[in-house]
Amino acid sequence: MSQAIEAEQSFVDKFPEEARLVRAALLSSFFALVLGAIFGIVQTLHRTDVARIIPSTDYYTVLTAHGVFMVISFTIFFLVGLFTWAVVRSLDRPLVNTKITWTWYAIMATGMTMTGVAILAGFFPALDMSADVLFTFYAPLQAHPLFYAGLTVFIVGSWIAGADWFRTFLAWKREHPDERIPLQTFMVLVTMAMWYIASSAVAASVLLFLLPWSLGLIDQVNPTLTRTLFWFFGHPVVYFWLMPAYLLWYTVLPKIAGGRLFSDPLARVVFVLFLLLSTPVGIHHQYLDPGIAEGFKFISMTNTMFLLLPSLLTAFTVVASVEYGARQRGGTGLLGWLTDLPWRKPEFTGMMLAGLMFAAGGFSGMVNAGMNINYMIHNTIWVPGHFHLTVGTAVALTFMAATYWIWPQISNKPIYSRTIGLFQVVVWFVGMALMSNAMHAQGMMGVPRRTAEPEYAGFDYPLMFGGFEELNVQIAIGGTLLFVSTILFISNLVLTMGNPRVSGLAESLPPAISGPDDAPRVLDSLRLWVGIALVLVVLAYALPLAAIINRGGLLGPGVGTYPAWVTPVLDALAGAMTPLVSVLGKATALLVGVVA
Amino acid sequence: MGQNQAAHASTDDVSGDEEFDPIGTLTLIGIYFVILVLAWVYIYYIEFLGRDLVVVG
Amino acid sequence: MHIHAYEKLWLAASILLILLLIGSVTYGAVGPGVAMVADSEQPIDAQGLDEDERFSEPRVEQVGENQYAAYVVAYQFGFEPSPIVVPEDSTVTFYVTSRDVIHGFEVAGTNANTMIVPGEVSEITVQTDGAEEYGLICNEYCGAGHHVMEGKVHVVSQAEFEARNSGGDDA
Repeated sequence: MSQAIEAEQSFVDKFPEEARLVRAALLSSFFALVLGAIFGIVQTLHRTDVARIIPSTDYYTVLTAHGVFMVISFTIFFLVGLFTWAVVRSLDRPLVNTKITWTWYAIMATGMTMTGVAILAGFFPALDMSADVLFTFYAPLQAHPLFYAGLTVFIVGSWIAGADWFRTFLAWKREHPDERIPLQTFMVLVTMAMWYIASSAVAASVLLFLLPWSLGLIDQVNPTLTRTLFWFFGHPVVYFWLMPAYLLWYTVLPKIAGGRLFSDPLARVVFVLFLLLSTPVGIHHQYLDPGIAEGFKFISMTNTMFLLLPSLLTAFTVVASVEYGARQRGGTGLLGWLTDLPWRKPEFTGMMLAGLMFAAGGFSGMVNAGMNINYMIHNTIWVPGHFHLTVGTAVALTFMAATYWIWPQISNKPIYSRTIGLFQVVVWFVGMALMSNAMHAQGMMGVPRRTAEPEYAGFDYPLMFGGFEELNVQIAIGGTLLFVSTILFISNLVLTMGNPRVSGLAESLPPAISGPDDAPRVLDSLRLWVGIALVLVVLAYALPLAAIINRGGLLGPGVGTYPAWVTPVLDALAGAMTPLVSVLGKATALLVGVVA
Repeated sequence: MGQNQAAHASTDDVSGDEEFDPIGTLTLIGIYFVILVLAWVYIYYIEFLGRDLVVVG
Repeated sequence: MHIHAYEKLWLAASILLILLLIGSVTYGAVGPGVAMVADSEQPIDAQGLDEDERFSEPRVEQVGENQYAAYVVAYQFGFEPSPIVVPEDSTVTFYVTSRDVIHGFEVAGTNANTMIVPGEVSEITVQTDGAEEYGLICNEYCGAGHHVMEGKVHVVSQAEFEARNSGGDDA
């Protein structure tokens, strides 16, 4: 028995070079997670008025860092690591040329460092460099050119990564001409096809407008145009975050549950639907924009509602796969089988809690998508409440859970403590439930997002499922639990890396119950689906973009340039003595209370 | 709902795993569906349409 | 392609749900007549607001039988006029623009909410009920002083509105 196990090679045994890349990518991802988490706890305690250790004007530097490091660096570095593993594993062959692989990784790391430096320089006024423009970098707020250049370099790196996987797939295809694309590789290729389409617009916006503008080569940009190009990318990027999580839920979670994927064909259909529908919906982030006709907004709304379909289908397929596993282990009854599952495993519980939380996030997403109901919650803290459930949990918690499963296979080192791992994922869930729930409630009373101080001098908020102050406490506690959970996760991983290598850690993935041969061949026809996706994008965006350019011009309409710091701050401070005094008073009281 | 026996028999081509009916999944997802519908009706018709200063033009 | 009967049922239910959502939104647009902020107003020169008849003097004025127009300018970091005083039980159209960067216009706790984009004029029409004081929040990040950017919207009786307006612009 033990000899048989020792004979089975783990991923790192078979593909050591690729495994090293996967580890590097995951570690880059977690480095971003830690930085993002530190900024996150500073933000949480600041805006809830529990502990303000920085001036409120610096809050926006923190917020830009938190956003960019979490949703660009953490998510996408994890994706490139996971996808490299998935392609190599499912094709059972190495990458075509690992020199290219390390090159794209280095390009991504360089790009993110450039952007990171530009953002963090905002803490040091003497450096004359800042990027306090937040993750969405709307003009006419302007960042230092290094910010835009770094993002461009990072995205180009990700494009080369996609090309690397396509090449490897084509090499495999030459050796296996009549076989169906293995599911994990299919998912990677479809996700990257979506990414090429999606990121083209923001790359164009940065290269044609924002970067030259920040370098002083052009005088002004059209704010509505650059916003629209951003959101062309800004919606599909959430699927760039989600689809790796879906890959794990479809192909790995069933195995962990002791089951098998309920339906391979449906998984392919879901990914194709994301390729088709992720991009032609971006205008739903601009429902309240002037300068865009209501008809375009309505079309975006209907497209968005249909984009619910692949996620709803995923819920069924994934839960059915897990149920299959439970019943294989002897589970019976309508719901009793739920107890026959490996809840002690952090990789299992983490992914299940992530999925559960995603179900809640789906609801708040429906509200966001509902065009006119958007009036109620646009730009309130409801919106971060929503996306902390989705990218913040469905994606982030799944990634952490998956790490417990995958790290031993790419390093031959067992996890330091599964108990701490289990505790960590549960703490994440509890913390997020508290924080996000309170954010949704505050949003419904009109509390804004993206602000250092949501309390105002001139009025009080109405009551809504609790008062403003008590909901602040919940947000602070929830955020603190999330920070603790992150520290536990990273510590566990670092200690794991210190473990000695062992053998016997290989894990295989079982075939699906309904396999790829049940899937119509047309599903694998990537050219067809990319073609349709492009048609849908043109249909959704050609007229709106033409209208916007017609209205305001490519570089119009006569708007100024606003670096996100400098003199307006002084004017604002001069005009805002009253709230400042009250804040100082509270801070003093807090200090006195702590010291005394 | 009914068990689609013919379809199961012809396409479940893996040894020993015929006729798996995910009734537990159907139950759970049915509960989710009901919650979604009720929550949506509340938040759209009661909360949203009931507020002050609805934009009508 | 084989789809299990239960999953087909769920697919049908999902599509019904999606239609319910689209139907609700459509009902909202057609029944209560909720309209979206759109491109009804012409683009404007953000750096030339002083030459615009509406925005050189931000104010509220009567434009018809129980109909009012409120011309509002947002800037780093405040709103003009503040407070915005409008009469109760009337129809008020807000025309909002920005002198500098993108701002938000959110009457806290209500459905009056719009983006304010320099170069564009956001137009939203609402019906006021009884007298009330609302907070006005800038809910779009607009720079280092974003968190101090606030205003007020006062819905007052007809008599009070006439008294305050005839006294000239409130600062």
